[in-house]
Amino acid sequence: MRDFFNTKKFKILLAVAVVLAGMMAWAGANGRLTNAPQELMGALLTPFQKAAQLLGGGVDGLLDKYVRIDQIIAENEQLQQENQELRDQLVDYDQLAAENKAFRDLLNIREENPEFQYASAFVISRDPLDRFGGFTIDQGTLNGVEKGDVVVSDKGYLVGRVLEADLNSSKVMTILQPGSYVACLVSRTRDSGNLNGSADYAADGMCVLENLPRDTLAMVGDEIITTGLGGEFPANIRVGTILELLPEDSGTSTIAVVEPGADINKLTHVFIVTDDSAGE
Amino acid sequence: MTSRRKRNLLLAGKWAGYFVLLLLAATLQTTPGFLVLGEIRPVFILPLCLAVAVCEGEYPGAFFGAVGGLLWDFTSGRPGGLLALELLFVCFGAAILVELYLRLNSMNFVLVSGVCALLVTGVDFLFFYAMPGYAGAAGRYFEVVLPIAVFTAALSPLSLWAARWVHRRFALPE
Repeated sequence: MRDFFNTKKFKILLAVAVVLAGMMAWAGANGRLTNAPQELMGALLTPFQKAAQLLGGGVDGLLDKYVRIDQIIAENEQLQQENQELRDQLVDYDQLAAENKAFRDLLNIREENPEFQYASAFVISRDPLDRFGGFTIDQGTLNGVEKGDVVVSDKGYLVGRVLEADLNSSKVMTILQPGSYVACLVSRTRDSGNLNGSADYAADGMCVLENLPRDTLAMVGDEIITTGLGGEFPANIRVGTILELLPEDSGTSTIAVVEPGADINKLTHVFIVTDDSAGE
Repeated sequence: MTSRRKRNLLLAGKWAGYFVLLLLAATLQTTPGFLVLGEIRPVFILPLCLAVAVCEGEYPGAFFGAVGGLLWDFTSGRPGGLLALELLFVCFGAAILVELYLRLNSMNFVLVSGVCALLVTGVDFLFFYAMPGYAGAAGRYFEVVLPIAVFTAALSPLSLWAARWVHRRFALPE
């Protein structure tokens, strides 16, 4: 056994382990997630992920569909009825039409916030270990994306922000992640609070608005928007609607359960606000 | 007698083949919507690294595990090095276990993959869910972490088959 630990190979293995531990310490100390070797591998992986994302559209959630077959049959009947009503209005959809739609959405959200610059991005990766909806997009620093850029859905609803931008891809931390504080307010009553992720609600794609006044007049269905306070998120970006109002444990404030306007766990396409200072 | 050049080519081909498999595993593991069962998705990088480790031995397997772990760190947004360190030790241990105590067949590999998946996802759960004090941690462990390990183990023979194919395809002639 002693000979085994004295072998050159074992010493090299230990050295590699020490280097890895050092990399981890360096990443932690510098507030970064990745380092040079990983960025290189990430750059190699991204084309594979883009191809898989394109191919994956056809087999999206195949097993999930079988598990939810009853629900899907009911949805199917409803959709068939809607399809009948919409058939006269709809033109054939193909890839070009999908892109067209994305750009129409972009135009719409540009009209809402004409001072912003947007970049279009597709979701290319979601890791099984991520429990709060985080994902990777196919745009990176080469496309002008920077750490901290705000990410919105193609309908203009807040999704999160760029946690780390690599050369040709970026990681997005969503508003479902606990600790992702966003200053928000209830649009109708102007009551302000902190939007935060919650482990209790993240699996259902919901988050919470904390620190609302105890006597808030907010109601279920009220719209939540960003305030712009703190400077990390621009003002007046739509977030979602209130689903439920609960008293906070200590009784000093109210918590609103918020259903984001974007289905964060199933997003396939987003826009990144690459510049929210134009026109200032 | 095999020439030195041919031997080097075979070795390079084998490790290039493993690396391509690793990129494929990472792609499948992170493709949105691929093999989703509720909230559960299988892990592919870990079984592939284990398969390479049991085919190639403890030291090459451990280094390949470290590379696979770095890639997994990158795709999962974990601090660089954490999963790499875990996979390095797990692959080293698994290769020794198979070499000394287990016959390499699909059933044994499913068992080894399941235990290793439980270890790795359990450590991740501990650091990134239980220790931050998120609510309902125990429930999440049984609803998410355990099923991920089972799903991963169930699909692990695919990784073993792929790694064995590369191992045999680029085997050095006797």
